[in-house]
Amino acid sequence: MKISRVLSASLVALPLALSFAASDVQAQTQLSRNEIVNSLQGAQNKAEINAADVRAQALQNIHQFPGDNATTSLPISAQLARLRQFNVEITFDFDSDRIRPESYETIGVIADALHTPYLWGQIFFVVGHTDAKGKREYNLKLSQRRADAIREALVTTFFVPPEQLEAIGLGEEQLRDPSNPDGAINRRVQLINVGF
Amino acid sequence: MSKSLWAAIFLLAGTLIHTQGAQAQTIGFADAIKILSSSCGEDIQKYCKSANIGNGRIQKCLAENEARISPRCKADYAGVYVSLQTRLAAQSVVMNICDRDIRQLCSGVQPGKGHVLRCLLKAEPSVRAACNQAIDDAGYR
Repeated sequence: MKISRVLSASLVALPLALSFAASDVQAQTQLSRNEIVNSLQGAQNKAEINAADVRAQALQNIHQFPGDNATTSLPISAQLARLRQFNVEITFDFDSDRIRPESYETIGVIADALHTPYLWGQIFFVVGHTDAKGKREYNLKLSQRRADAIREALVTTFFVPPEQLEAIGLGEEQLRDPSNPDGAINRRVQLINVGF
Repeated sequence: MSKSLWAAIFLLAGTLIHTQGAQAQTIGFADAIKILSSSCGEDIQKYCKSANIGNGRIQKCLAENEARISPRCKADYAGVYVSLQTRLAAQSVVMNICDRDIRQLCSGVQPGKGHVLRCLLKAEPSVRAACNQAIDDAGYR
């Protein structure tokens, strides 16, 4: 009884500790790899979603509903939200697609997850999002370049099969917290399992 | 010595060997690349300001600046890329090393989509040590 209570306490504490500098790095890496695997696995069959369509919808959203910030979500967003997914934070240089060294490990953890047999043969969208600061079309292009950079790193440096990954930039068209459009919470990379 | 004591020693030895056997002889992609950011992060930010991680560009930049980068980075960076390659190589030999185990334990499993490997993972206690080791080295467990 006592042991199980201690165990569950430490399981709760570990994810919180992820955002801080770590001493027990090995265990952390293991935990987050498995977190990603557990969140992404279980796709049954292919979702009928095409990466080019998602990109086109984001651009269309800007043209059809112009303005400083997006006011409508993409037609495809509800369907995407139902798929197995995981959010990560990757830091880039300002206004650039250059991944900063402190985020190399995060990409390595994603690679470790994608290399496990639990995720073999499945197709993943790597979706980049910005906050709402700046022009929407600019943010759309920047997030596409950033998603491309992550995909390139996964495919070349970490040997993930290229046919498993599609890079998509959604700019500020799909804010995580629309009530706080400029907030850091919106800047994230989504991994979405679109199935076999 | 009593029979049960011998049994206990045998069990303990078995556990030790088993634990050692489960220790992968390769490191994962995240653990490898983490060494690059901790040993070379500052040098990368100083000398490779316009290089991105993909396509060997950081490796190339560090090699070009080898005279200027810190001793720690110089000592570590090439090893990082060796570790990444070693993990990839370990993955590429799993099916061969496990061939007999697959035929014995997973013959009814439809190949593809990781099904065979997942069968081997489930069958771990019956899988030969060499195959289990290969699975650990590949980072598949």
